[in-house]
Amino acid sequence: MATAPQFPATRERWARSPFYFNSAAHLLRIGRFRANNLQELLEAIRQCPEASIFQHTFQTLEEHHFIREGFSNDFSHWAFAACNEVELAERLAAIDVREFTSIATLRERIIHIIESYLQKNPRAASRPAMEPFYLMAADIVVVPTPYVARNIEEFADGLRRVSIHSIYYHFIDARLRLKLDNNDFSVWLETELDLGPAADRLKRIDIYTSTLEGVRRGILKVIETEIARA
Amino acid sequence: MKEKDREQKAVTQDKTIEVNPAKPEKAPETVAPPEDGGQRVKERRFRQTDLPAHFIERRKHPRIKTEPPPPPAPPRLEDYAAIIGRPELDEIRFLARHLQGKTVKMVNSTAVGGGVAEILNRLIPLLNELEIPTKWEVITGGNDFFEVTKGFHNALHGGDYNLTKQIQDIFMAYNEQNRQRMQFPEDLFVIHDPQPVGLIRSKAETRGRWIWRCHIDLSNPHQGVWDFLLPMVDQYDAAIFSAPAFTRRLAIPQYLFYPSIDPLSEKNRELDETYIDKVCDDFGIDRSRPILTQISRFDRLKDPVGVIESYKLVKKYVDCQLVLAGGGATDDPEGAVVLQEVMEAAGDDPDVIILNLPPWSGLEINALQRASTVIIQKSLKEGFGLTVTEGLWKQKPVVAGAVGGIPTQIIHKLTGVLVHSVEGCAYQIRYLLTHPEFATQLGKNGREHAKENFLITVNLKRWLLLFQILLGMAKPSKDALSVGA
Repeated sequence: MATAPQFPATRERWARSPFYFNSAAHLLRIGRFRANNLQELLEAIRQCPEASIFQHTFQTLEEHHFIREGFSNDFSHWAFAACNEVELAERLAAIDVREFTSIATLRERIIHIIESYLQKNPRAASRPAMEPFYLMAADIVVVPTPYVARNIEEFADGLRRVSIHSIYYHFIDARLRLKLDNNDFSVWLETELDLGPAADRLKRIDIYTSTLEGVRRGILKVIETEIARA
Repeated sequence: MKEKDREQKAVTQDKTIEVNPAKPEKAPETVAPPEDGGQRVKERRFRQTDLPAHFIERRKHPRIKTEPPPPPAPPRLEDYAAIIGRPELDEIRFLARHLQGKTVKMVNSTAVGGGVAEILNRLIPLLNELEIPTKWEVITGGNDFFEVTKGFHNALHGGDYNLTKQIQDIFMAYNEQNRQRMQFPEDLFVIHDPQPVGLIRSKAETRGRWIWRCHIDLSNPHQGVWDFLLPMVDQYDAAIFSAPAFTRRLAIPQYLFYPSIDPLSEKNRELDETYIDKVCDDFGIDRSRPILTQISRFDRLKDPVGVIESYKLVKKYVDCQLVLAGGGATDDPEGAVVLQEVMEAAGDDPDVIILNLPPWSGLEINALQRASTVIIQKSLKEGFGLTVTEGLWKQKPVVAGAVGGIPTQIIHKLTGVLVHSVEGCAYQIRYLLTHPEFATQLGKNGREHAKENFLITVNLKRWLLLFQILLGMAKPSKDALSVGA
């Protein structure tokens, strides 16, 4: 005979649907677009597949998750390091992927920034870069993990155990899947555990000024505060 | 200096070659490679300094192993858990679970020596441990075949070549011979580099998927040779390159697999401080002062003379030592010439320590890198630059030339420093030596970058992903793929 689940004494809220921690592995594909100057970059960004825009903005955050100082996206880094266009690099670096729930609008924003910069600095358009920019894309494979959370304690435990790629997948990559200014963790906390304020606090964690490990710690701090409050 | 003074025999004693043997009566002394069939180099003289005598003595007589140690057992997958973490290892096992029982054949042109054989020696046991039976076969051929493939290799790197009909026939005849000899019952075939590329003719008779793994830089190939190979390459199901800059336009999907290092190999595993001390002692390196190190073959493309010039600029401001350690001067006539040039550039400065090491010096190189304050790789042309990866992995600040695959590894001022000149190299080294917090941060970022992208476990994961995609277990789409869900 099946027995009822043993509820922890400290918590009363159990999720109607558990949170399944997934992770994502990716394989880089080399695309056919490359740029030797800013004009060529602009053309490439106009024509390349969405997967390439995703790769050089969202995905690169995961690949460089350990860098806290000044890494935002590949376009910005190339404008700085290979083209020596500091102002353009600054403007591109200011793009916050969290403001975008579609790649199409993100692409438009990048194009607008480069176009307006080249209008002001036309000679920069054809100045050769020190190294080409190769547009890439990734085949992403979602990998289930063994970690499942049905309450907030299990959720905290899962957060501590999963790989950094899982944090990225649920916290950053999720925005495009959900097409919302949100993430998987906040959605689950709000809809399953009625923890709206905690969900909102997660959304305010800055992914650009800390490493992904720092993001994990930030999420855990919010969750542990909730546990302590219970 | 008389010619006879510049020539010197290497002294063998207790399996240790004295590579910097001293002249008994003369204080300043010499570096010479082992006696090896006539490749001799001029001796070096050290000027008098206040360096303690035992350092001078060791610099004259570095202790270098003359025989290779027995090879260690290859690591098990579980051994990597402490390095990459349990969740990462779980993901690898999960990806492999869906491939269990699928069979793989890897084919290359040599079982020993060279980077490809080194990679396969590590990768194949791990795939087999994951219950993906993987067989390694080596193509055979006569001297004429390997002369042709060596010519192709140089031509694909941009060298001149006269591609005659006879050469094409030799290449195809040996590929056909190997094709007839081999059987192809596997699910996946990975053909490494151009030598066995013609095995693709068997594709129509097999049920498997075919992958061409190109380890060489095709950015500027001899057009005739490339045009000859291209129709064969385009028949594969996918191609893999080590850097986006190394690719050509192909009709098939191209994937990026960075070369990788094994964190458990002798060259990269953790070492006790006592061992590092011992190696430094063996080579006369003073650990109380900054150590700048470049590990590379004595090859002009690695710009060892440029490194010495940079060191001299640094030395005006910071009391430091330079270690130039590598091989290639013993079995390569050009390497011996370069070593000679390097010693002339070093002059009588006893703080320039030049070590011509044999190929089995992985542990010693590991110790030298770990003892270093700054790692340099001031190449003028480079493939991927795995010595940079090794430096990053050891959490060292790396100053390197912005060539080949190095900018992939070094994100300027974030995971290391890129330089374009002797002066730039010197300035960046000085900056790192005088700003240790910055150097430490670069080292930390560099290690994470290596861990994320350039370890053998990451490479293993890439293979598993590619196998799944090619076998239709995970289909590429705009959105994320899902396996086993």
